[in-house]
Amino acid sequence: MHRLLSRTVSAARTRSLCVYECCVLPAKIDNVSRPFTGVGANTICTCTVRRCEKKDDAIPSNQGEATNLDTETKTTQLQEESLEANDGGSTQQQRNVKAEQVLSKPSQVKTDGAKSGKKSLLDLLGAMKVEVTSKRKLKNLKMKQSFESAVQYKSKSAAMESTISMFQKANVQASAQSEVLDPDLVAAASAAASTLLNRSRAESELLKQLRQRKALTEAQKKGDINNLGVLIADMKVGKTPGRQNAWPADQIRFDDDGQGYTRDRGITSELANVRKRRNIFPTKRLNIFSPTTDEQRGDSALAKPTLWDLDFANELSLTTNQMPRNGFEEMIQWTKEGKLWHYPINNEIGLEDEASVPFNEHIFLEKHLEEGFPRQGPVRHFMELVVAGLSRNPYLTVQQKKEHISWFRDYFHQREAVLNEADVYLN
Amino acid sequence: MAANRIACMGLNALIYAPKQALRNCWGAVAQARSYYVDWRMLRDVKRRQMAFEYADERLRINALRKNTILPKELQEIADKEIAALPRDSCPVRIRNRCVLTSRPRGVKRRWRLSRIVFRHLADHNQMSGILRARW
Repeated sequence: MHRLLSRTVSAARTRSLCVYECCVLPAKIDNVSRPFTGVGANTICTCTVRRCEKKDDAIPSNQGEATNLDTETKTTQLQEESLEANDGGSTQQQRNVKAEQVLSKPSQVKTDGAKSGKKSLLDLLGAMKVEVTSKRKLKNLKMKQSFESAVQYKSKSAAMESTISMFQKANVQASAQSEVLDPDLVAAASAAASTLLNRSRAESELLKQLRQRKALTEAQKKGDINNLGVLIADMKVGKTPGRQNAWPADQIRFDDDGQGYTRDRGITSELANVRKRRNIFPTKRLNIFSPTTDEQRGDSALAKPTLWDLDFANELSLTTNQMPRNGFEEMIQWTKEGKLWHYPINNEIGLEDEASVPFNEHIFLEKHLEEGFPRQGPVRHFMELVVAGLSRNPYLTVQQKKEHISWFRDYFHQREAVLNEADVYLN
Repeated sequence: MAANRIACMGLNALIYAPKQALRNCWGAVAQARSYYVDWRMLRDVKRRQMAFEYADERLRINALRKNTILPKELQEIADKEIAALPRDSCPVRIRNRCVLTSRPRGVKRRWRLSRIVFRHLADHNQMSGILRARW
């Protein structure tokens, strides 16, 4: 199983603050041509490569197939190159020391460690890419990682424990204080601290943090919150970066003449203020409110038109209606609406279909009296008068006349009882 | 809900629909009216609409009432029926108001205008063919 080199291309703006570390994944080599292979076929090689931004292109990409010796030499070369590129001799010396230490450890690991296809603690730590913007942030990140790794690899084989024990021997001084802590955590802390600049100091701080946390969790377990004050007193006060030039936003500044002026702002300042807060929308939902369903809203909207709907409809009609530009267009509009008569005046407007109806249907309406009405009696007399009047009416359509007659028919049938009392019989 | 609808109708009747200022060929701004002049005019409009709806029915029932042929019992029933119709459906309640000012009196039927408005428009030469009388 070969693992390739992984590079992180840094996009850092300020070199002083951002240090990007790239780690080489360990390469498992089946055939080892080394004099001191006593344990097994597979060996592990861990190396950390540190470089500046300008060195991205220089370093070769693939080292997976090199042997241990080659990797060692290459790493030394790389580190030497990086060291040369870096500024300051003291840092070089420090890094040299660290490089030697780092290299010595892997060699020791090779002697002892017998891995059977599983990552070691160090491998995992080494494989992780770390972005350092401030020391505090790094510490927190490392804490998380160390915790995770420690939790994951708590139950390991004997070989793992041997490596850990080796680490413990190497860092006797540091671990002397933290006897209370878990040895796994200590080992993780030390390994994490090794990647940092100021190794010893970082390690001590890490262990201190671990101790604090352990005390806190124990207190929580016991339910004894009164000791929180003690715990908090020991904690450091955090400071947000950028607090040096902290003028208030609306600070009045004074010119030479004594007149004060505030910075003229628009909407952009508000937006900028909004953006200043790191994240407006937190990553995790609080689940206080349940999401509402839109079904209820939809039914109520259709039920009755609200004032807003009326207003909208009115506005829509106004926008779509094209205003008449002159009197002629206004008259045309009125004619279409029916407010104005059509010119030249047509008396039979709206009655064009009636022109096709023959005159006999208008006049001879007695055939409608044949059914539903009696042949004699006052009712018949009345209906004949009605028909005579309708036949002389030129203003009604045939349909309207029929409707009149049918209405009378229904009316008389409804009041048949009353008519029978008055001795008027409908046959 | 029915009350809401009626209220909406009332509102719709008097709803304000702002329009552009109409200008005649001389550039003078013509009167742009989008409201009914007052509530009395609105009520008159409602009466006219209702009278139009019930016109046929009223005619037929009145034909039954106003004759000497049919038995009187039927005519009495017809009397009661016509009285039961809504009060605004009878055309007698319609008042020919002035179209521009809603004045109930002094309205010339031909122009549907009150005497004051008629005189105003005629003096400003807005009425075609109208002259001041002189003989």
